[in-house]
Amino acid sequence: MTRTALVVGELSQGRLAGATHEAIGAAAIVSGSPAGVSVLLAGRSARTAAGELARSGVARVVVVEDPRFDAGPPAVLAVQAAATAARIGVGVVVVGGTTFGREIAGRVAARWDGAVATGVTEVAPEGESVRVRRPVFGGRATETRVLGGPRVVLAIRPHAFPTPASDGPTPPIEVVPAADLPAPLLGPIRTGVESAAAGAGPGLSDAAIVVSGGRGLRGPENFHLVEELAASLGAAVGASRAVTDAGWRPGSLQVGQTGKAVSPQLYIAVGISGAIQHLVGMVSSRVIVAINSDASAPIFRVADYGVVGDLFEIVPALTAEIRRVRAT
Amino acid sequence: MEIVVCVKPVPEAETRLRPDAAGTALDPEGVKYVLAGYDESAVEQALLLRESIPGSRVHVVACGPAPRTEEVLRAALALGCDVATWVDVPAASADEPLSAARALASAISPHSPDLVLCGKQAGDNEAGVVPAALGELLGVPDLSYVLDVRWNAGASRFSLKRASEAGLESWTVPAPCVLGLQQAWNDPRTAKLPAILKSRKAPIARVTPPSAAADPASSPRRFELPPPRTGAKMIEYKTADEAATRLVRALREEAKVLP
Ligand SMILES: Cc1cc2nc3c(=O)[nH]c(=O)nc-3n(C[C@H](O)[C@H](O)[C@H](O)COP(=O)(O)OP(=O)(O)OC[C@H]3O[C@@H](n4cnc5c(N)ncnc54)[C@H](O)[C@@H]3O)c2cc1C
Ligand SMILES: Nc1ncnc2c1ncn2[C@@H]1O[C@H](COP(=O)(O)O)[C@@H](O)[C@H]1O
Repeated sequence: MTRTALVVGELSQGRLAGATHEAIGAAAIVSGSPAGVSVLLAGRSARTAAGELARSGVARVVVVEDPRFDAGPPAVLAVQAAATAARIGVGVVVVGGTTFGREIAGRVAARWDGAVATGVTEVAPEGESVRVRRPVFGGRATETRVLGGPRVVLAIRPHAFPTPASDGPTPPIEVVPAADLPAPLLGPIRTGVESAAAGAGPGLSDAAIVVSGGRGLRGPENFHLVEELAASLGAAVGASRAVTDAGWRPGSLQVGQTGKAVSPQLYIAVGISGAIQHLVGMVSSRVIVAINSDASAPIFRVADYGVVGDLFEIVPALTAEIRRVRAT
Repeated sequence: MEIVVCVKPVPEAETRLRPDAAGTALDPEGVKYVLAGYDESAVEQALLLRESIPGSRVHVVACGPAPRTEEVLRAALALGCDVATWVDVPAASADEPLSAARALASAISPHSPDLVLCGKQAGDNEAGVVPAALGELLGVPDLSYVLDVRWNAGASRFSLKRASEAGLESWTVPAPCVLGLQQAWNDPRTAKLPAILKSRKAPIARVTPPSAAADPASSPRRFELPPPRTGAKMIEYKTADEAATRLVRALREEAKVLP
């Protein structure tokens, strides 16, 4: 049995987040086709953003133009999502793999009484249920779960689902008023954003490529080698704990057990030995490259490609080669 | 102020993962369960807030089976939490985030806390569901990916930072609320021996939630370890430029991760 689905869209600076396109891709798998998928967009720019779904082939776009969704915490959209899901009678709600999406999933599930799974990398209908796979333990294991019952909430993992082709019909846009938003949920107020330093590229957790540097760089004055390589690739910059503990770079860049877990398409470890506490944060990356002068460094055991050599020679050459390839 | 902090017993990081006989879940045989990761940050944040708000109490709550749940509660008491509640449910319920949230909510709501602190996600199943679900079940707002929480008594609001894709956001949130803690960059404290000894004898309240509350909404089917990586393909080269050309070619043509 296939189920119809509702994707809860995420708007970032008036545009649809990439995560939303991936969520539509995942929802279309559960529903059998994009025609079984409705998309909810809420906020002042919802109607404009709906235009980005022209020819997406989805069933409809539900638009709620209400500024409370721009200002409020994610919980407010979760309430709207649960109400919309109940009104149009879908069996699955799907959200993207961003912090925003993940935060919504728990409240939608509790409010709408659905079974929930997050960080999902594979999904398939199974009889009356939905079967999912998801990495656990920082990617050191994978679990398959079966979500039963009439209502299922899924948050997908970034980069795990293809964004659907845009060769279908253009969906109708349904403009509806906001659901009843409980007053306490409107209590939190965002007072400011210190955006990730200008030009710093994508955030670590959802970047498609991450370049991380370790103690092999010898000092903060050399860390620019990692940053330039990252810039040439449009990648996010990460670091080992040796680097963040020494204060060469802020703790927010730390990858690992006590830092961030990342699972990009490509992870490049520069001058990082590959201690288990670092590995748990990055082993689930699709392709891992290690650059290290010590051929016996444990990082090579989890790497797909290894370069044994002096990072001070290899990394600048690599940056130059990538710039050259990109320019042609 | 009544501060509740939720901690989940999780296998210590160095655990060698193995599927159980049925192949559906982690084999708990010989696994050491600890208070770890984001939950440590949540406890640290709770203790810091208690120090700054006169008349506060930190109440640690954990949901799961014996003996692991009692062990993490004692670890939290040793760190300085004032009272502990053990929500006694089977492992399958504690590991399913929505049933864990329901069981926790039933144990927490009679205490009407001003603040409920969680980790942003548990270190084992990494669901990141419980904080928002608890917010819904307790009827209060929630925010996750939170760090650096302070109490502003004049405004009766918490002010905090939140790490999102947009950057580092600042928020103010009225009490009561649920917050999911991101890693704190100030290192969590470690327990001192006398406190550890004292915590061994501290009373722990045991509650059992209504059974329906703890019914898992999903069931595990398979627990698998990834096939071992076959070892890195080493790039052979004579000059750094050659290493770079070969690596980029492999990444574009073989691995297809670069355009
Ligand atoms: C409880 C706990 C939690 C932890 N959490 C984390 C965590 O979240 N993240 C994390 O990263 N660590 C964590 N650690 C620390 C971890 O154990 C390691 O100490 C740390 O990852 C080491 O960082 P590193 O690889 O940069 O440094 P090192 O281990 O010192 O490795 C440096 C590497 O650089 C190579 N190198 C040196 N010179 C060159 C050169 N010229 N060219 C190329 N290569 C060179 C060396 O061969 C070496 O392999 C944690 C530890 C504990 C105990
Ligand atoms: N069984 C549990 N007992 C106590 N707290 C829990 C439990 N499960 C989850 N939590 C709390 O909720 C946070 C997020 O967990 P999760 O949503 O399962 O990733 C954890 O870091 C804990 O603070």
